[in-house]
Amino acid sequence: MRYIVASFLILLLSSCASKKTQENTTQIEQTWKGRGFTYYPSGKLIPSNSGKGRYGDKYIYAPRIRFPLAYAPAYVNSQVYGIGGRYGARGSLCDQKNYQYPWRDNFCEKRNRKRSMPLCPTGTGHQGVDIRAKDCRDNTHYAVAVEEGVITYIGSYSIQLRGISGRTYRYLHLNARSVQVRRGQRVWRGQKIGRVSNNMGSTKTSIHLHFDIKQTIRFGNRSKRVYVPPYASLVNAYKRLLRGRP
Amino acid sequence: MRLLLTILLFISSLTAQSGILDIEWPKIDPKHQKPSTPYPTILTQNIKNTQLPVYLPSSYTHDKRMAIVADKNFYTISFFIDKATIMMAGDRTFQETIDKTDKALQEKLIQDSSIEFIENEGVMSVDFNRHGVNYTLSIECENSTKDSRCEKDTFLRNLYNRLIIVGGVQ
Repeated sequence: MRYIVASFLILLLSSCASKKTQENTTQIEQTWKGRGFTYYPSGKLIPSNSGKGRYGDKYIYAPRIRFPLAYAPAYVNSQVYGIGGRYGARGSLCDQKNYQYPWRDNFCEKRNRKRSMPLCPTGTGHQGVDIRAKDCRDNTHYAVAVEEGVITYIGSYSIQLRGISGRTYRYLHLNARSVQVRRGQRVWRGQKIGRVSNNMGSTKTSIHLHFDIKQTIRFGNRSKRVYVPPYASLVNAYKRLLRGRP
Repeated sequence: MRLLLTILLFISSLTAQSGILDIEWPKIDPKHQKPSTPYPTILTQNIKNTQLPVYLPSSYTHDKRMAIVADKNFYTISFFIDKATIMMAGDRTFQETIDKTDKALQEKLIQDSSIEFIENEGVMSVDFNRHGVNYTLSIECENSTKDSRCEKDTFLRNLYNRLIIVGGVQ
């Protein structure tokens, strides 16, 4: 009986403090002493002319997701404004500098002028982030399910996973022949989906994974399904991956 | 003991961030609800438990090649057409509730509630809310840079303007 009462008291206290705890656990460090992993804060876009991010937004929209690539290291940075990108410095997309820390958020990066992203200061953005795998080898590194769920859609070069949380995760540019899931298939957290490539239908992009998260936000008696910033969630997931507890 | 449980339940309900949205079911004329030709079994069987209005572009309601993934709170229907994939999805869950004090974000979300057709990553899409449910209609082209269906919004806008309810359980 004592044990039960004590458990309930702990639950009660933790529930009361949930808001506070959430704030504490979502604090993002700019450098992480562990395995050399460093990252710029959420919303800091580099170069500065690539857009305006939600600087300092440390909120983890998708807590406890698994990192979408099977193994570390991986690098979140811009394809378009990185070396070899359309607006980046001249050079090869496979330049070693594109495969280095620190990570750079690119969720609110300029992509089009339409206002579809209320969580970006300008209302416009990239919808998700670009992630490079360990190295520039094509069709080698696996993308995996970030959450248990069901594959709801497979297009020419995009795959959608609806997690049991109700969030939708989109994986773009995987090699079509490497895809190991089918529509309607239930997948578990960490299950292989396909290999990272440059697939964009009949046109090619750089070798990377575009990953985004869509969820519904309720405000008052209204709601809206929007792309949410994945960066802080990914930093969190990546730290767990580095610790060997993905 | 009961008191503790009650307090615990009360607090957890206060901190609930996710859940199911209420639906304002549209009044549908039964004549319009019943199609002149029955919908294909693949459609009726897969959405028989879906508890939200199921919209589809009218020109694809009888396409038997449709792929459906549905549950009681969501559905995703996709069609392979000529070198492109159309997707229609509806979802009545929510994952986040904005604090009432965050007026700035609320205003931004309200301002942003106009219908916008967006091209991003070669996919043309539109998000909208009807009856309290959130929907997405999109088209992804094999040739994302040269196919006008993914470059311009005309094709998708046409589909959007022809959406009809084909099912859903109240």
